[in-house]
Amino acid sequence: MNTFRHLIAAVLGLLVASAPVLAHHSFAAEFDASKPLKLTGTVTKLEWTNPHTWFFIDVKGEDGKITNWGFEMGSPNGLMRAGWTRNSMKVGDTVTVEASRAKDGSNNANARTVTLASTGKTLFAASSQTEGR
Amino acid sequence: MKAAIVVIAITVSFAVSLSAQWPKYSEPGIPRDAQGQVLMDAPAPRTPDGKPDLTGDWLRADRDPRPPELSGIAAEQGRGSRAVVVEPQVQQFPADADSPPLATFWDIGTNVPGGVTLTPWAADVKKKRMAIDSRENPDANCLPMGITQFHMQPQPRKIVQTPNLIVILYEANYGTRYIYTDGRKLPPQGDPQPWWYGYSVGRWEGDTLVVETNNLRGAESGPSDGWLDVRGTPYSDQATFVERFRRPTFGKLEINVTVNDPKSFEKPFTVRINQRFLADEEPIEAVCNENQQFRVRIKVD
Repeated sequence: MNTFRHLIAAVLGLLVASAPVLAHHSFAAEFDASKPLKLTGTVTKLEWTNPHTWFFIDVKGEDGKITNWGFEMGSPNGLMRAGWTRNSMKVGDTVTVEASRAKDGSNNANARTVTLASTGKTLFAASSQTEGR
Repeated sequence: MKAAIVVIAITVSFAVSLSAQWPKYSEPGIPRDAQGQVLMDAPAPRTPDGKPDLTGDWLRADRDPRPPELSGIAAEQGRGSRAVVVEPQVQQFPADADSPPLATFWDIGTNVPGGVTLTPWAADVKKKRMAIDSRENPDANCLPMGITQFHMQPQPRKIVQTPNLIVILYEANYGTRYIYTDGRKLPPQGDPQPWWYGYSVGRWEGDTLVVETNNLRGAESGPSDGWLDVRGTPYSDQATFVERFRRPTFGKLEINVTVNDPKSFEKPFTVRINQRFLADEEPIEAVCNENQQFRVRIKVD
């Protein structure tokens, strides 16, 4: 068990060096942490840009109607340290996103985690929320 | 146990994928054990003239209490193993009995006994900033975010120390700060024109680098000027800062920041910011203004 604990400590130590995840803006001005959202859809567009990466997905509603949603993530440097590359998610991929809705009621949200249907791998969105900012 | 294994698996997968994205190299001149781990408690390096050498990449080492605005998220993330992966951004140093209260990124005076006492003017500025959800925070607008936010920003910063000049390069918002250590004196307050980073001169007192700064753009200068923290605790055009930098071990940088600003605070206060050496990495380019849409989306502009 001691060895196991050491292993955990070592792994966390690794993280310490590799994951200073970041965020940028004042989260509260734009998003509402009390309005969580979980949506699955197909990626239609990616913007791998500063200060925030955005991606958009088409979500099919119960009535069959397609709605396009936009999700903000952290900046590319933060995402890279959290395990992303700009090729982690591609147009056409199916993803499930956990996020917080925009305050203005638009179809925008701040993503917290993104799970790729093809691999089941969850990536953290390096957003204001995960960073506690 | 099972959850812990999941945590490890996820973590290792991050570490592996990380190495595939940014060139890893083993930084020379760093004390390491036989396995290559950095000896963080080794003595701090020194320059040829015998001064402690602060050169290196540094990450903030203190963790902020989670602000109430995000408390719902905190509860949710506390449930699963994911929280373990995401939350330990940095390893904190053991408590230091000689340390001033730790500064916090959200609200700088949180750990100051009794809090920092704002003047009515400063209290009003802060109230107005918070009333609009800190949307004028310089960080949110790709602007230089001030001495204390830069020290505590989760993105790393690189210190380059030369005999006559110390430069701090902030990954965040492409910040660059110059600290003159060639013996010059501070110019009078208000001359030259106040600037985002102010005017900084440093001198060595033993192994402590003492940096004094004046000529800062205070809150009178504009909505994104004079921010000490995310909540918008202000400083004024009258503010001067004294920062005392120490590198007690190879891996630790201690910065005691004293804010002198009678227009904003009933009395000066001092807080501590600890930073941890970041080996074998480099700052990553982050050109903030590439696609800044924040103000458009919240319909300010």
